Amino acid sequence: MNLDWSVVFSHWPLLAHGVLMTVLLTVLTMLIAIPGGIVLAAMRMSGSRVLSLVSVCFVEFFRNVPIILVVYWAFYVMPVLTDLSLPAFVTGLTALAMNNSAYNSETFRSGLNSIRKGQREAGLALGMSGPQTFFKIVLPQAWRRVLPVLASAWVSLFKDTSLVSVISVGELTYTAMLIRSQTFRVMEMITAMAVIYWLMGYPQAKLVDWINRRYGVSE
Amino acid sequence: MNKANGGDERRKGAGEKPMIVYGNVKKNYGEFEALKGVSLQVNRGEVLCLIGPSGSGKSTLLRCTNGLELIDGGEIVFEGTSLGKDPKRLRQVRRRMGMVFQSFELFPHKTAVENVIMGPMTVLGVSEKAARERAMALLGKVGLESKADSYPSNLSGGQQQRVAIARALAMEPDVMLFDEPTSALDPETVGEVLNVMKVLASEGMTMVVVTHEMTFARRVANWVVVFESGAVLEEGLPEKIFGNPSQPRTQDFLSHLGWSG
Repeated sequence: MNLDWSVVFSHWPLLAHGVLMTVLLTVLTMLIAIPGGIVLAAMRMSGSRVLSLVSVCFVEFFRNVPIILVVYWAFYVMPVLTDLSLPAFVTGLTALAMNNSAYNSETFRSGLNSIRKGQREAGLALGMSGPQTFFKIVLPQAWRRVLPVLASAWVSLFKDTSLVSVISVGELTYTAMLIRSQTFRVMEMITAMAVIYWLMGYPQAKLVDWINRRYGVSE
Repeated sequence: MNKANGGDERRKGAGEKPMIVYGNVKKNYGEFEALKGVSLQVNRGEVLCLIGPSGSGKSTLLRCTNGLELIDGGEIVFEGTSLGKDPKRLRQVRRRMGMVFQSFELFPHKTAVENVIMGPMTVLGVSEKAARERAMALLGKVGLESKADSYPSNLSGGQQQRVAIARALAMEPDVMLFDEPTSALDPETVGEVLNVMKVLASEGMTMVVVTHEMTFARRVANWVVVFESGAVLEEGLPEKIFGNPSQPRTQDFLSHLGWSG
């Protein structure tokens, strides 16, 4: 087989840009999806039937359809529904953020629910207010349980950003595929992509392991 | 309606105004009547033990006392004022009542000393320095000064419960509520918790104790209330309840626990 790796190196500025977009997409998605998840969880647990129903519908929809479908949906259907035509990057970001908000919401909800009722009562029994009890006792404990799950979600998201390549968002996968189709160097580009994803993903996975060890719950 | 002082003028604190008065207190969980109109009083400086079979309503009454559960009928009067349902008023009442739970409920993300300073700092606005000083004194009192910087997960059950007592005492409460404080403990650590409670009693702390420790109730209580099926079966001085109960069902209950007088 005749391999020519120079194609990877000669296109490095393009690939670097793709990497940057992948990272940017991951960071922005999480920046939206963490508050998004908290809001959805709060709506679900608010006691208001309407808010709870809206949250349940949102979460159960986006959690149970493939991300790629959401990406296509955001690309083809959202502009028709909202009469807005957004850049591909924003469209991809929206799709990823909706999917991840839905997942994060369940993470936060189970984290908050996992804190024993007695912990809240112990705070109240000291004379603390409801909000004081939530912020000083329940949330810090829930956060420790949620953090390792969020960290794993982060690594999944990092890889899932590749799905928005189908709507021509110029992240790593799209860029590599583009170079492939221009140079016909399929083996080289796909291998290079794997190496780049792995080199970036591995340290993140190790970081997740560390977070799990550091914040793993012991009671 | 019961008579004042449970009908016995020899009761501790009988000459003074009672601290807590329960008047026909009712509490339902759906169809289930957990409290069917309980009338009692807690006198200043006395140790009152609530005993009786599991599910008889003792813990429910205790949890209603500081408003963790709201009552469905009757009235609970603390220091002359009705508890009511207003959250602000309940918070003020809770500051003055220390509570110790069966399952300790120490805050696992805080060290022992941080658990103890939490109440004074967040609720009373005490400075960290002053709160820590007092917390160390209280941890010394329960024999755990050396464990101040340990997390609850590194403490035995008995040690955790002693920290929980220190945490409640840090608020300088008027009364301490104990909800089966030794039921979740290994037998070898029960004694250390009961000893701390005995010291508190000897210092004149007003205490309401839900317990299955009959020896403790017999020796330390000034007044014993026997619960059955959400109502008071009988109440009296410990000598009477354990020596010569007027109700045959009290006798039954005590003999089930192996109590022989």
